[in-house]
Amino acid sequence: MGEPYISYEGVEVCFTEFVYGLRDATVSFERGEFAFLVGKTGAGKSTLIKLLTREATPTKGKVTLAGRDITHLPDRLVPALRRSMGIVPQDFALLPRKRVWENVAYAMRAVGKSKKEVRQLVPQILEQVRIGHRADAFPHELSGGEQQRVAIGRALINNPPLLLADEPTGNLDPDHSWEIMELLKELNTKGTTVLVASHDMVVVEKMAKRIVKMEGGRVVSDTGKEMSNA
Amino acid sequence: MLDRIFFLLGEAFIALRRNGWMTFAAISTVAVSLFLLGGLGYVYLQVANAAQNMTGRFELRVMLKDGSKNFEISKTAADIRAIPGVKTVNWIPRDKAWQKFLTENPEHQKYVDIENPYPDSFKVILSDLKQTDQVIAKIKSFPAVSADEIQYLKSEQNLYVQIQAIVKWLGTALGGLLFVTGGILIYNAIRLSVLSRRLEIRNMQLVGASFLTIRIPFYIEGMVQGFVGGLLATLLLRAGHAVVDARVTQIWTTLPVFPTTTFLGILCAMGSVYGLICSMVAVRAPLRFR
Repeated sequence: MGEPYISYEGVEVCFTEFVYGLRDATVSFERGEFAFLVGKTGAGKSTLIKLLTREATPTKGKVTLAGRDITHLPDRLVPALRRSMGIVPQDFALLPRKRVWENVAYAMRAVGKSKKEVRQLVPQILEQVRIGHRADAFPHELSGGEQQRVAIGRALINNPPLLLADEPTGNLDPDHSWEIMELLKELNTKGTTVLVASHDMVVVEKMAKRIVKMEGGRVVSDTGKEMSNA
Repeated sequence: MLDRIFFLLGEAFIALRRNGWMTFAAISTVAVSLFLLGGLGYVYLQVANAAQNMTGRFELRVMLKDGSKNFEISKTAADIRAIPGVKTVNWIPRDKAWQKFLTENPEHQKYVDIENPYPDSFKVILSDLKQTDQVIAKIKSFPAVSADEIQYLKSEQNLYVQIQAIVKWLGTALGGLLFVTGGILIYNAIRLSVLSRRLEIRNMQLVGASFLTIRIPFYIEGMVQGFVGGLLATLLLRAGHAVVDARVTQIWTTLPVFPTTTFLGILCAMGSVYGLICSMVAVRAPLRFR
């Protein structure tokens, strides 16, 4: 068996002397997997994701992504790292003064795509996340689920092999939550590795994917990858 | 490439528009500080220039001891020429000086037969008024020089030197103080821009925009503020010069033409570089990836 796609080995994240984000966390994920990180607030699930996006750095242990050690990645390499993944934040982080298509276009322009590429790719991305029909709407005119679709669309602009979602259904009602999960599942079937931090156990169990449970910064249970491929 | 430049410029101007009042405060403070620095710098140069042009009037008359021999006169002239701050040294023979006096004062022709009371002397013109005292001290030390008989307009020379010192001090103190204040305002304006654009910045950081893509709009913003400040300062100086010129012309003389292009170049370049430096300092901490 080859090297895992994502690997955490004995990772510790210490914020202050007595406040830990993670304690000796060891877990790995294969390419193409769909996995949930679950646990109460402060369990360490978001920290685990932040180690991959380099919003947090470990005080001990090792983090690798696609065989590359990113434990102490220099700041100047962080933008390139983030272009290799899609990040979906809990609060959507949409630009309120820009329309749906402009939100995606803006992100594309920021990573250096030309106007021509933007014109060509934005409609495709919006269709991929099934929000094309609301392309001209402003974020405040959208439902929570629609806003999350736009956020997922924005995360797809670099065509990433990895999608990280931190509480993507945290602000949504059950119906919209399920829609978002279906969308993530669809992306996963096309080959994208998906890691989702969530405390919405109803949706998580319904998805029947791999579940990594965290408590007090430690991995306390892992349903294993055989389940994620079910 | 052009596409990229337009994107970055667009981002910068959005930020400038969003913080209109703060931008206005930063630009106006930079303009006033550059106006003061530039204006007092201009006055300083004019005073220095005037002093330079008037050094001929501020000549020293160095009298030599009675009975100085020709070789002593030549050696003393050479020694004086070698002193730093001395521009020219002309020997005035005692006979020539006496003749000149009688020609310029015909009423004294009746004394033509008395013994020439003039000693041999030198007319010394300085290149730098500030060195007058040192030059005189040095000249007094030469053996052929009559130490008590060096004539010069000490008070007038001192006045010019003092005016230059006051202008320089005022320029450095007031202009410098306002320049620092302008810098702090640019810093604050950029910090507010970062705050008002935090969502855009977060978006850029989420999708992996490069450090420069995120920072360049703020650098442009700082440079624009400094540049416009320099532009306004030049216009203010030009207007100020015109007003002063109109007044002075009525009572005295015409002022030299104001070098608008030179000032425009210098003040705008100074403002832009200063704005760039302030914005670079301002975005360092808040734009760290986290």
